[in-house]
Amino acid sequence: MEYFKSGLKSVLGTPQEGLQPTGAETVERLVDRVRSSTLLDDRRDACRALKALSRKFRIEVGAQGMDALCQVLEMDRGDCEIVGYALDTLCNITASESFEDEEHPHLSPTSVGSLGEQFTEIFIKQHDNVGLVLGFLEEYDFHVRWPAVRLLTSLLANKPKDIQEIILVSPMGVSKLMDILGDSREVIRNDALLLLIQLTKGNANIQKIVAFENAFDRLFDVISEEGYADGGIVVEDCLLLMLNLLRNNTSNQSFFKEGSYIQRLAPMFNLPPEGDDTGWSAQKVSNVHCMLQVVRTLVMPGNPAQVTMSSQKAMKACGLLEILCGILMASGVPVDILTETINTVAEVIRGNHGNQEYFASVMAPSNPPRPAITVLLMSMVNEKQSFVLRCSVLYCFQCFLFKNEVGQSQLVQTLLPSSTEVANLTTGQLLCGGLFSGDSLSNWFSAVALSHALVENPAQKEQLLRVLLATNVGSPPISLLHQCTMLLQQGSKMQSKLGLLMLLSTWLAHCPQAVKQFLSIPTSIPYLTAQAGSNEHDDSEELVQGICAFLMGICINFNDDTVTTFSKEKLRQIVEKRLGLETFLDKMGEVSKHELYSKAAKHPQLRPKQPSELLLDHEFCRLFRALEGMVVRALSSKPHSDLVNGSSEHSLLASENSLLLQYKELIREQDHKLQELTQTTERLTVEKSTLQREVKDLKSTLSQLRDENMLLRAQANTGLGQTTSGNTLGREAFHMLEEVRAEARRWKEQSEQKDSLICKLEEQVKSGVVSDLDTQLTLKSADQTIASSDIERELQETRQQLAATEEKLAELATANGEIEKMQKDQEDLLELLTDQDTRLNQLKAQLRALGEKVDDDDDDNDEDLEEEAEGCEDENSA
Amino acid sequence: MSYAYLFKYIIIGDTGVGKSCLLLQFTDKRFQPVHDLTIGVEFGARMITIDGKQIKLQIWDTAGQEAFRSITRSYYRGAAGALLVYDITRRETFNHLTTWLEDARQHSNSNMVIMLIGNKSDLESRREVKKEEGEAFAREHGLIFMETSAKTAANVEEAFINTAKEIYEKIQEGVFDINNEANGIKIGPQHSPTNPSLPSGSQGSMQGGGCC
Repeated sequence: MEYFKSGLKSVLGTPQEGLQPTGAETVERLVDRVRSSTLLDDRRDACRALKALSRKFRIEVGAQGMDALCQVLEMDRGDCEIVGYALDTLCNITASESFEDEEHPHLSPTSVGSLGEQFTEIFIKQHDNVGLVLGFLEEYDFHVRWPAVRLLTSLLANKPKDIQEIILVSPMGVSKLMDILGDSREVIRNDALLLLIQLTKGNANIQKIVAFENAFDRLFDVISEEGYADGGIVVEDCLLLMLNLLRNNTSNQSFFKEGSYIQRLAPMFNLPPEGDDTGWSAQKVSNVHCMLQVVRTLVMPGNPAQVTMSSQKAMKACGLLEILCGILMASGVPVDILTETINTVAEVIRGNHGNQEYFASVMAPSNPPRPAITVLLMSMVNEKQSFVLRCSVLYCFQCFLFKNEVGQSQLVQTLLPSSTEVANLTTGQLLCGGLFSGDSLSNWFSAVALSHALVENPAQKEQLLRVLLATNVGSPPISLLHQCTMLLQQGSKMQSKLGLLMLLSTWLAHCPQAVKQFLSIPTSIPYLTAQAGSNEHDDSEELVQGICAFLMGICINFNDDTVTTFSKEKLRQIVEKRLGLETFLDKMGEVSKHELYSKAAKHPQLRPKQPSELLLDHEFCRLFRALEGMVVRALSSKPHSDLVNGSSEHSLLASENSLLLQYKELIREQDHKLQELTQTTERLTVEKSTLQREVKDLKSTLSQLRDENMLLRAQANTGLGQTTSGNTLGREAFHMLEEVRAEARRWKEQSEQKDSLICKLEEQVKSGVVSDLDTQLTLKSADQTIASSDIERELQETRQQLAATEEKLAELATANGEIEKMQKDQEDLLELLTDQDTRLNQLKAQLRALGEKVDDDDDDNDEDLEEEAEGCEDENSA
Repeated sequence: MSYAYLFKYIIIGDTGVGKSCLLLQFTDKRFQPVHDLTIGVEFGARMITIDGKQIKLQIWDTAGQEAFRSITRSYYRGAAGALLVYDITRRETFNHLTTWLEDARQHSNSNMVIMLIGNKSDLESRREVKKEEGEAFAREHGLIFMETSAKTAANVEEAFINTAKEIYEKIQEGVFDINNEANGIKIGPQHSPTNPSLPSGSQGSMQGGGCC
């Protein structure tokens, strides 16, 4: 304070003795200086002084100095020091909480609270102001950046929606804030975290941008730097921001999953090894609690199914589910963490078969080892356990059975009489124990848990009917349904009654067999009628009355009329005559009007603050909503058929009676005829089958024959082929022969020509022409001799060729003989074929006589064959 | 699934040009003829393989409406690739490309790879913008170009993968600073330079079975 005073003195000069200026006056003079001093130093000093006064004289500084401070931000932004003072001052005047040394004599405490909000409003009227502050985030100087972060935080706290919108539209606004998260100075980083938590509250667009700017990576980095669950409050802040980014934001949830961040969640749940006594600090409890919330946000029942399913899968794959189950079974875990872990496991397995299966296989490290489910259920039916824990176990069990037919049937199986001796305590036994215990809360829990084994599973509803209980030694065993009804009638406690009524409603709905068994208990309907007709006006008593009416409605709706005393119509009459339709419907209507009904219907997990709020179950509310309309319709409208079916023969007139008898006779006759016809049909069916068998046999013979036929045809074809080939060979040889002959002729002609030439020359020689020609002649004759020798060689060759051709001709002659032989063979084969055909035709005729349809193309067989034969002949002739 | 690299994409362009449909076709291999108006930004992801390396694409599909422009601008900075889409049957969506491009260039990092896409190529009869015009625009502004159909899936795969190839090449050339996540590129967990000695293949298979 002394420092401030000296500072003031230096700015304002030493005040005159005995004339102390008021706070307002001082502020006025300082603001004036900030605004009008020409020297930066003066403005800076005045600003520092204003900052010092801004706590004590908050109103004065805010009211008079706002414009001057904004002016500083705008005009003096180059000077970090003065900007720092201005930002600090603005922080103080817009703070949402009041300061200890604050002085405002004229104001009531309530308006003090809104001071920060009012100043915020004034500050953001000029949108650019927020932009200026955002701009200062880029200034690295600690004295600027830090107050800028804090100012934005306090502005956000006062006017969240407005500031969010302003930041969203200012260029790179969110990105600038995200950059601050990477500041190496922890104070700034931590305050940036707080700022981002405020900023992301309820604004999906900002949440997405923050996620896009790698928020998850940075947060996980900070968390691991700080030591995961053992870290300080910064870890909690990180997790709170993460929660803001994920809650109800499908896009970010799928980004979280796709970015493999689920895998990074797993190491956060690693607990200290057994025997470590460091224990659970309050901060650690908060941290783990937040981590569990993050896991739950990804698999909440309200999320889109696709996101939930894929997240559940990833959680199992990366071992997160295993780790969580480990916490369930670990010792020394604080009860609220244990409760929340149970709730988390519940949602991680809900509706996911693989995860449910895994959960069923988890064993508790007890002696003897028991399944975790059994251990959990033991806590649920244990009066001494904390109420929230018991609720979470129910939620977990219900999520385990959700869409899990195997789990449902296994539970019911544990109650059915089996040949194998069951030494261990089973889930079914535990629930029955809870059902019959003296603790009404245990009754309620057990009844609801058991009802979840029957949800949308008609097979188990029937199976459960088979369950018998040995209540007392010596007395005959009694069915579970009967026992529940008895308990309902004997019970006086609201909670037990409601639990049993919900169990019975779930059991009987859509299960005529259960309705039948229930109606066979003589006291059941009278009890329900009495309850539904009762006139007590207690809040929860009305619930019991309403559900009793609803149960009666179910008995009417799913009645197969096998219990004659309580047939559909009789029950309807009871409702009308004993209760009155209006009263009945009013009572039923009370259920959905109940405050707890809408609460339970909203979310699968019940979050009661105290045991008395535990009356209705989520699944029951769904059933009620689905069947309410059906029950009302079944009661209020009367279909015609009911009139005929419901009225007895006695009430009919004589004529009608005789008519009825006539009809009965007619029906009997028709019945008889029907029987006869059925017999005939049977006989005919038998005959038909024998005939079919015969036809089949015949068919197979036919196909056999057809095959043979084919074979023969193929053989015949090959025979024909051979002859043809022989023929072509002959033709070729003939051609060659002709060619050779022609050539020989040519050669002969040539040699004759040359002979004549030689003769001529000889004559010329003889006649003794010119002697000087002699030499030429000799040369010529030499040429001639050479030529003639050539010719002779050629002739010889030709002769050889001729000889070869003659040889070939001889071969051809023998081939022709073969051809003749083959043709003979072919004729034989054709004869055989004709025989076969005639036989085939005979068989076909026989088949036709038997009524079997014969393929038309079979008839063409003969023609085909003939055509083919003709084709072959054509080739031959060619 | 482990990956060698992770690329961040944005899809931008006028409203109704088929941005969300392109994304849906790429991630889910289906076409939704009636698509709701995108509010703000929606997220989608898929794994692809380039050069034998697994690459994860994280894609932010933005709203085309003017009202969301200030929101969508926040996504330019952190993206490694952008698909700038117009509708070949609506001339005005082509005319607005310059504005989009200016906006993108102004707010993004300078290395962002931009792929120009003329969508709805199945509606040839209603075509208003010639393919040559798209090619010319792309050439002029240094973009890659493709015509696609989110309906028939023609070229959709190629558009996303070719953009990734371009980014991948830029990484190989050392243009991108891969250690700065603000560039929209992340190195896969087992590929971080702190443990380069580990063979990527075996590491990857050990980490498998996670997400997706």
